[in-house]
Amino acid sequence: MRASVTEISAFTAAAAHVLCFAGLAVAHSLAGPGAPVSDPARALRLLVVCEAPVIIAVFSYLRRDPKSCSFFKAAARGLIGLPVGAFFNAFGAIVLGAPVGIKYWMVTIYWSLLMSLFTFVPAACVFGVSKIDWQTVLCHSIYFTPTDVENYMISAPCHGAVLGAWLGAWPMPLDWERPWQEWPICVTYGAVAGHLVGMAVSPVLIAVHKRRVRAKAD
Amino acid sequence: MGAAVAGWTVAAVLLQVAGLSLFLYGFFPVKPTLRGFSGPESYRMPSCGPVSAGEQKPALPPDQRRSLYRELSEMPPVYDRLVLMVIDGLPAEFVLGKGGKPPSKELMESMPYTQSLLAGCQAAGYHAKAAPPTVTMPRLKAMVSGAIGGFLDVAFNFNTQAFLEDNLLDQLHMIGHKLVMLGDETWIKLFPTLFARQDGVSSFYVRDTVEVDFNVSRHLEFELAAKDWSVLVLHYLGLDHVGHIGGRRSVLMTQKMKEMDEVIRRVHDASLQDNLERTLLVVVSDHGMTEGGNHGGSSYEETDSLALFVGHSVERAHCSPYNQNEALQVDLAPTLALLFGIPIPKNNIGVLLPEVLNSLTDDQKLRTLELNSWQILRLLQAQMPAFCLEDCINSEGGLGIVVHPESIEKEFCHLLSKAFVSHQSSCLHQSSNFKSAEAQYVGTAVENYYGFLRYASEWLSHRATDKPFYLLISAILLMTMSCLFLMGAVSRLFKGQSLSQTDQLSESYLEQRWHLDEVFILTGIFLYVISLGSSSFVEEEQYTWNFLTSTLYLIFLIKTVQSMLKGSNSTLVHGAEEKSFDGNNFLCATSYELTPGKRDGYKLCTVLIVLVAGRVIRAWHQGGINWVHFPDISKLLAQADSCIVKSLQTISVLAVVALYSVSLMLLRARSKVVIGVWLSHISCGLLVLLHIWENQINTSLPINHSTTSIARLFYAIASVSISATVLASPWIFPIYSTEAKPASSSDSNLVKDIDSHGISDSVFLTGITYTVFWCLLQLLLQQPINAIPLLLIFLQTVSSVVHFSLDKTLHKQWVQVIAMQFLGMAGHFGLGNTNSLASIDVAGAFIGISSYSTVLSGILMFIITYGSPLMLYLGMVVYISVKDISTPRQLWSYILDKMVTMPCLLPLLINSVALTSYTIVLLLMRNHLFVWSVFSPKYLYVCAATVCTYVGVFIIAVTAVYTCTVFSFRARRYRDQSH
Repeated sequence: MRASVTEISAFTAAAAHVLCFAGLAVAHSLAGPGAPVSDPARALRLLVVCEAPVIIAVFSYLRRDPKSCSFFKAAARGLIGLPVGAFFNAFGAIVLGAPVGIKYWMVTIYWSLLMSLFTFVPAACVFGVSKIDWQTVLCHSIYFTPTDVENYMISAPCHGAVLGAWLGAWPMPLDWERPWQEWPICVTYGAVAGHLVGMAVSPVLIAVHKRRVRAKAD
Repeated sequence: MGAAVAGWTVAAVLLQVAGLSLFLYGFFPVKPTLRGFSGPESYRMPSCGPVSAGEQKPALPPDQRRSLYRELSEMPPVYDRLVLMVIDGLPAEFVLGKGGKPPSKELMESMPYTQSLLAGCQAAGYHAKAAPPTVTMPRLKAMVSGAIGGFLDVAFNFNTQAFLEDNLLDQLHMIGHKLVMLGDETWIKLFPTLFARQDGVSSFYVRDTVEVDFNVSRHLEFELAAKDWSVLVLHYLGLDHVGHIGGRRSVLMTQKMKEMDEVIRRVHDASLQDNLERTLLVVVSDHGMTEGGNHGGSSYEETDSLALFVGHSVERAHCSPYNQNEALQVDLAPTLALLFGIPIPKNNIGVLLPEVLNSLTDDQKLRTLELNSWQILRLLQAQMPAFCLEDCINSEGGLGIVVHPESIEKEFCHLLSKAFVSHQSSCLHQSSNFKSAEAQYVGTAVENYYGFLRYASEWLSHRATDKPFYLLISAILLMTMSCLFLMGAVSRLFKGQSLSQTDQLSESYLEQRWHLDEVFILTGIFLYVISLGSSSFVEEEQYTWNFLTSTLYLIFLIKTVQSMLKGSNSTLVHGAEEKSFDGNNFLCATSYELTPGKRDGYKLCTVLIVLVAGRVIRAWHQGGINWVHFPDISKLLAQADSCIVKSLQTISVLAVVALYSVSLMLLRARSKVVIGVWLSHISCGLLVLLHIWENQINTSLPINHSTTSIARLFYAIASVSISATVLASPWIFPIYSTEAKPASSSDSNLVKDIDSHGISDSVFLTGITYTVFWCLLQLLLQQPINAIPLLLIFLQTVSSVVHFSLDKTLHKQWVQVIAMQFLGMAGHFGLGNTNSLASIDVAGAFIGISSYSTVLSGILMFIITYGSPLMLYLGMVVYISVKDISTPRQLWSYILDKMVTMPCLLPLLINSVALTSYTIVLLLMRNHLFVWSVFSPKYLYVCAATVCTYVGVFIIAVTAVYTCTVFSFRARRYRDQSH
């Protein structure tokens, strides 16, 4: 089965990430500057709406088993994965202290959908229900051990988003009294920033990995 | 190896204690003050050169002294009699409103007489800002001496000592005034020999709100009729007690304020009866209170104390009584001193209150300001020996205007010479006929004086006292050394373990590389240490701990899921299906024959319990110091019916009792001791229930005797049964497994057959008994709303232990120990504690104590405040019992080593890291604006946490050592018998 897997070059990965980044940029320009702070729900909604089709399309195209699985099946997997991932993300956020008041429901839902797009949906599109792949994605040790190329492409932005969101929550209790300290604004900023960093890093990782593999083959 | 590690640890602890006490001595010094009392010299301009303190003039008799003062001061005293009425804990907001608005209608109506005085411009009220710590004794000292005391006065608040500094009362006594004191006995402790008549009441029995004030008021009739005294101090404690019990909005509050208003009316009526109007009534409060009725911190609510003057000198034609008139609490001292014709106390940093001196002529007003400036100048000279007034005046030539003064001394010079020059010119122009010109000159002079006084007062109060820098540095070096010792011990431990574990396949898997949770713990501790440097993170520390703890457990969750994915192809059991919370967890703690699927389910389940419980605890008490106003469950419950709170308490008690019963059942040991402990535990639970239902918060009965005796009975039964369990449990479990016992004939065989289950069971019994009795004690002592968080913390403890016991290879041991410590800290803040001294629950510290005892109530206060970390330390005793301690070589010392080193060393290390880094932070922040209000209270908490760690580690170590000793003794005896 492994043999049939298409090898993804660093260039393809970079192109995919550029597409995803374009989705984010479009959403941002549609929302206008300052929108995330003044109306976080609208900005998040725009981000989700613009980013969802791009991510699902890109990663369904890059699905791991193109022979046995059609593009639309992969896309359907992504669509199902969206709310499931959102549930996990919302659980994590609430456990970590996100407010649960009625006032915050909408933003929490949008935020977790966005986080799901960053973390869960790409993996759902590419891997489906393959247990072993999920396990490697969850694990951070892929950075130290040789694995498949897709793992980098999916894991790096995903881990980046989670780490960014986690770090983004730190300024929240400070008494600066800035509007962006509200849930989930700074967390969203952190997540997007982390995701972007992850997207930038993953082609590099892939390139380095390829060179290493080639060197080994020689 | 064990002995060496123990030696290092003890050395480290001793070093730490030494360093800590050195630092405390150096950082919280007994404030350098001017000794002696102000005398006639205070009416002369201070001269240059070193302050000559050696001049000892022969003590004058009071009458001569009084006339001397009158002569020197060039003005007669305004009043002869003073009634100083202290209403403990009354926020100025209740009387004067806030932000220019009068107080609410309800509050206005509860003090009708006072409000009529204010409205009639017969009284002048101030929001007199109290300096932190807002605790009674330091505030009283500040009021009578005008000096802001050292921070450690809080610690001495419970052990008052005589006040030796220059102060108003001693000065008044010296010129022959006769003093009478009724009320808080703190006054008597401060001035043991001063009062001609006195009746002290104890301020420590917080639950009494009626008797304590009645004991003051019962003397009023006699004292108001008596003419012999000239200073009467009344200190009413009831209002503070009302606050402690029910908060600002307590139902008893308006009633109490009406009572206070009535006292004010009586005193004022009596003072009006002598027509000379020579009596001044001063109503002050020593501090305010938070929304919940506590105090000690530095929030506006706590520092907003009242100063209300009623007398002829404050009367004026027009006034707007609800203007936000700001003053400092210390301003009381110079104002009263000048009104009564005595020298201003030497260490005073307060500034005269202008509105109180309305009846004086302009000349006299300027003279009072001059006297105040001279006194402050003397204090400045003591702080800056080079500072000299004459030089200033000479260098500036009276007219030179420095636009940008380079140094602080120049600034003082400039302000001071400006003030004196304008004073002189106003004197010169006095004879002129132009009234308007004169008034203008006086106005500039007054303004200039205040310019200097305010600036100097602020500088003096903000100036951090000189700290012996090298002493502090050496203290920090000692602490760092102790920290390094502990690190060395831990690293030795790890090295030893990795060597000894090479043969164990199951553990070698763990040694491969750093895992996510391990990396996270190190990062988390690093982030925590960094966050200590920010005042807002210190104020909101609960966020940090919650965030770190839940992230850690989320990582545990991910690891669990990962291990399930990696695990065998058995069907995935989802935790949600069999979410059986309580009893079944214990099942897996003791019985090891679980199917892998079920085991996975339990693993998932326990982590989920910890996470969900942690979230609920976090929502229970929202906000530390800045975000107190956030809505949370505890505030919701405080408004709800008391029945709901009581039923929640009942549920918690029943749950704890049920959990204990289940866990004892799983022990499968039916000895008499176990049953006895179980029965005593049930009776203790019943006692707590009884106490909960008997306890009526709003009763006016001062002491509820039945609840006191219930609590005492509880203490007795609990202590007896815990000590019985600890002593007996190693004796009742078999040393050898039953099947091996008859067959063992040869020595080698015998040694192998030692059953580690016996020792595990024994430690388990001890640990679980500790934990549940501790839980019951907390349920008895803590505020009623904290019942559910306590239960949740208990559940978290148990779930973590179960989780760690289910899969010993998933997390390394040190990760497990640190995770439990994190839980303890998160729970500490979850119970409503903050880093402000205001959140210490004083009311609970008197449950079961009928007479006041500093030591006992201090211990109870410590137990309440550190309930959660100590519960986790006790839980660690359970944890060491479920650890795998069976070793190939059955040596008791080896078992002990395996059991006890990690749970003892790691908490010590973590605490040492926190303590050392926070000490360094405090040293760096010593000139920070918030050093006294934010960083220093936190330092006291850090010190108390250190004590808590010592206690916890001591309990763990002693229990393990005792159990192992008894088992080895029994094993030896058994071997001797079989030979």
